[in-house]
Amino acid sequence: MEETEAEAERQFSHRQRLKAAVHYTVGHLCNEVALDKQVQFNKQTVAAIAEVTFRQCENFAKDLEMFARHAKRSTVTTEDVKLLARRSNSLLKYITEKNEEIAQLNLERKTKKKRKPEDESSNSREPAAEVVDTET
Amino acid sequence: MEEMSGFPKELVSRVLHLHFRDCKTKVSGDVLQLMAEFLKIFVVEAAVRGVQQAQAEDLDIVDVDQLEKVLPQLLLDF
Repeated sequence: MEETEAEAERQFSHRQRLKAAVHYTVGHLCNEVALDKQVQFNKQTVAAIAEVTFRQCENFAKDLEMFARHAKRSTVTTEDVKLLARRSNSLLKYITEKNEEIAQLNLERKTKKKRKPEDESSNSREPAAEVVDTET
Repeated sequence: MEEMSGFPKELVSRVLHLHFRDCKTKVSGDVLQLMAEFLKIFVVEAAVRGVQQAQAEDLDIVDVDQLEKVLPQLLLDF
């Protein structure tokens, strides 16, 4: 009985920590909007936005899981996220563009990583040459 | 353009997994980045609409009252 209480306690504080982390990021974003629009946000307003965001995440997560399951997958893909953005045309367009941007960026990172081993091997030759010089 | 803060991938992952019903459900890295963007838009949209409401009411501060007025449409739009 005590174990289930302790478990519930842990889950509660895990949830609280995630909420706090979300609140932190929301605070930063609100600050940037406030700066841009020259309008202040009340502390309670920032907290309210953070609360709503956290709650919406539950809906988003469940929807994503359902979409993936509907497609007989256990891994959520970007197609599922696009489906999540279906209610607004401009949102869908933005998400689709971002998806392509991210894919492009990740592709560039992968090609850079493939070039790195070539650079590393040429670097390792130089110190070895120095060592030979000092010995002689 | 990219100077705005964002949601860390780790946070997005943990929040999503908190609400998944099936422990087998996985999320790809691309999805985390995309969802981070999605959540950022949600927050910024809420903030900006709050500002617009405050400006319409000739106020310098966005209070919870202004947010309450824009919340229904925001939730319908998402």
